Amino acid sequence: MADYQFQQKTKQLAREILLSNDRLFLQNEYLQTRLRSILSQPPEQSNLVFALTKVIENADFGVIVVDANFSTIIENTAALTLFEHNSSNNTTAVRPINIITKLMKNQLPEYDRIISTKSNWDGELCWISPPSTLKWLKIGFHPVKNKLNEPESWLVFANDISTIKHLAQRNEKLALQDMLTELPNRFSFWQTLDQQIITGSPFYLLYVDINEFRRHNEFYGHQEGDKLLIDFGRRIESVIKKSDFIARVGGDEFAIILANIDNQEACKGAIERILETISKPYQTNKLESFHISVSIGAANFPNDATSVEELMKFVDLSAYSGKENKKNSLLFYSQEIKDASHHLIKVEQELRQAINQEEFELFLQPIVDLESHSISKAEALIRWNHPTKGLISPDKFIPIAEKSGLIITIGEWVIKRACQMIKEINAKGHNVIISINLSPSQVIDENLFSYLHSCIKTSQVEPSSLELEVTEGVLVDDYSIAKRLLNNARAIGITVSVDDFGTGYSSLAYLKKLPLDFLKIDRSFIKDIVADENDKAIVRAVIAMAHNLKLSVISEGVETEEQLKFLIKNSCNSVQGYLFSRPVQLEYFLDILKEQW
Amino acid sequence: MIQKKICLLGASSVGKTSLVKQFVEGIFSEKYLTTIGVKVDKKSLVVDDEEINFMLWDIEGSDRYNVFEERYLRGAAGYIIVVDQTRASSLIEGLDIHTLAKQVTSCPAVLAINKSDLPSTWHLSAIEQDAYQKLFDLQFTTSAKTGEHVDDMFLALAALLLKDKKNDITAE
Repeated sequence: MADYQFQQKTKQLAREILLSNDRLFLQNEYLQTRLRSILSQPPEQSNLVFALTKVIENADFGVIVVDANFSTIIENTAALTLFEHNSSNNTTAVRPINIITKLMKNQLPEYDRIISTKSNWDGELCWISPPSTLKWLKIGFHPVKNKLNEPESWLVFANDISTIKHLAQRNEKLALQDMLTELPNRFSFWQTLDQQIITGSPFYLLYVDINEFRRHNEFYGHQEGDKLLIDFGRRIESVIKKSDFIARVGGDEFAIILANIDNQEACKGAIERILETISKPYQTNKLESFHISVSIGAANFPNDATSVEELMKFVDLSAYSGKENKKNSLLFYSQEIKDASHHLIKVEQELRQAINQEEFELFLQPIVDLESHSISKAEALIRWNHPTKGLISPDKFIPIAEKSGLIITIGEWVIKRACQMIKEINAKGHNVIISINLSPSQVIDENLFSYLHSCIKTSQVEPSSLELEVTEGVLVDDYSIAKRLLNNARAIGITVSVDDFGTGYSSLAYLKKLPLDFLKIDRSFIKDIVADENDKAIVRAVIAMAHNLKLSVISEGVETEEQLKFLIKNSCNSVQGYLFSRPVQLEYFLDILKEQW
Repeated sequence: MIQKKICLLGASSVGKTSLVKQFVEGIFSEKYLTTIGVKVDKKSLVVDDEEINFMLWDIEGSDRYNVFEERYLRGAAGYIIVVDQTRASSLIEGLDIHTLAKQVTSCPAVLAINKSDLPSTWHLSAIEQDAYQKLFDLQFTTSAKTGEHVDDMFLALAALLLKDKKNDITAE
């Protein structure tokens, strides 16, 4: 009987928590679906603000919209009720957003990083306000960015989860355990980390973040995402020592304490074991196999930091700095990471300024058609005229622009400028195609094609005067999106070339399936073409294959007469390189065209 | 008098116990009290002048803490899959249980879409609704709270069982 009662009590509690969770999940899902459907309508077809305000007002939980400076734009009744202060002495009303940001600052070591990198954050906060307020809040904190990747506003969701917490705390095990993975949770982790520090013995703290987890969730569904998290946690648990400690500290973030390790080599050994097990393939319920990669940040106690907050801050920053899509990364905390993170933020700010002050310039590098012996095309290459550092080449700033999302705005500027250039070149009586490079983010940007189309229309140039260059990687990774874009572009007469051919994935299957016109053989194959038999064979094979697929070939990086001779002999269609001209400004390019005639 | 075993199945907290309580005692309680194992209740009905005694097996809801066990269905004359129209996940769970149940019994199955006094959170298209309806012998939208269609459902199930009995020449 006692056993029955115990079971009844435990299950009662557990099911009440499940129900509360279900309700919260449904409310969130409903609101997000409604907001998404309203936002996806063209503004002219809907009274956007009215509809949004109505949806927000009717939500059962707090919704707050603030501007970049955290001044409130909209807050619903639920938000005001949630943060109603029960102290009668309190005469000055404090805005809900101020309470939330204050709690975040005090309770989250990653707060500064979230704000400076404009990241999404979902998690729990505890609001204690004497004499009698104690609320547990589930907060969603999401930036709404503009084209310059600056947060124009922040969207904040606040749910009161005190009941769930209260229920959970009645059962100590549940309060310290993550319900999904059954690993210790964030609170349990903080307690353990605290205790570990008190013992004074050295250890390493790891922060493991699954790369592109959100994308995985979107692709396979949340149920599969949950399954992955459970499997992932179990795998790590199986390779760490009994004295080590693992916890799920966030959505797709796990923290590990490697006890009694005081040197990087030993730590690397432990991490290698973790990487080995998590790199093995995973399976969905439908038996589809997939791989994941992780970003790991590591910091040492006591060498790197001696407090819980600092250690967490450092591993978080290290994991974030190493985050590169599709690759496992491991970064140990160092002063360089801190400096690099500052450098990144600084360059991003300068880039934003560069966009506003039009500090970019497009250079053109001629492409010579070997049949007509004339310049048929030119590749547009961006340069940054930095006010103090002078001309900066794209490899120094494009990766940062790509990471920060500024690439979309910069890319749009390139398209616009290229169209203007075509017009100027046409006005001088020349017909030359300008090819522009598209970055991976641009290819997956839904607005790219309509922007291209409108630029062509506004500048009144022929679409056939424009060519798009995409790299192999983009074509393989985002095959269906790339195909749609290229089909649209080709339909209006824009040609398409594959850039850096041979350096990427070299999956030949897509060559057959995608609408392409040209292959550009990467300069690395051309460099030693005269002496290296392997390069010769590769280039010959690529040209033959391209011609069979009815594609023309452009060779990049042609610098000597010997290289040119070889390419002519092997029926290459066009060439580009310093032998003809380096990238030049528009006026010099026009001079070259003039001389040619 | 004919005696029939009827099982109430479904995800946890969809209202199986409340449906039985409403049907047997005519009362409803807002307080949620989870069922452990199984609870059996009795109620007699009269259909077309024939008395039938229902043994109602109210079975613990299925969730991550309790997996559905087919053995409860042994000897059942019919079963009712209860789903909660405020939680779409309970429909999926209910359909899963139905699939498992069909593997061990061919007795009539009823779908009870419960909590009709609360606004529904799922929106089924006519095609989906039709597809679900076809999976069951009977379908009712019920409210254990207001009593809406609760008696109707049990009476209809009783009538169906009696009709099947008359058609079955091998029955006692």
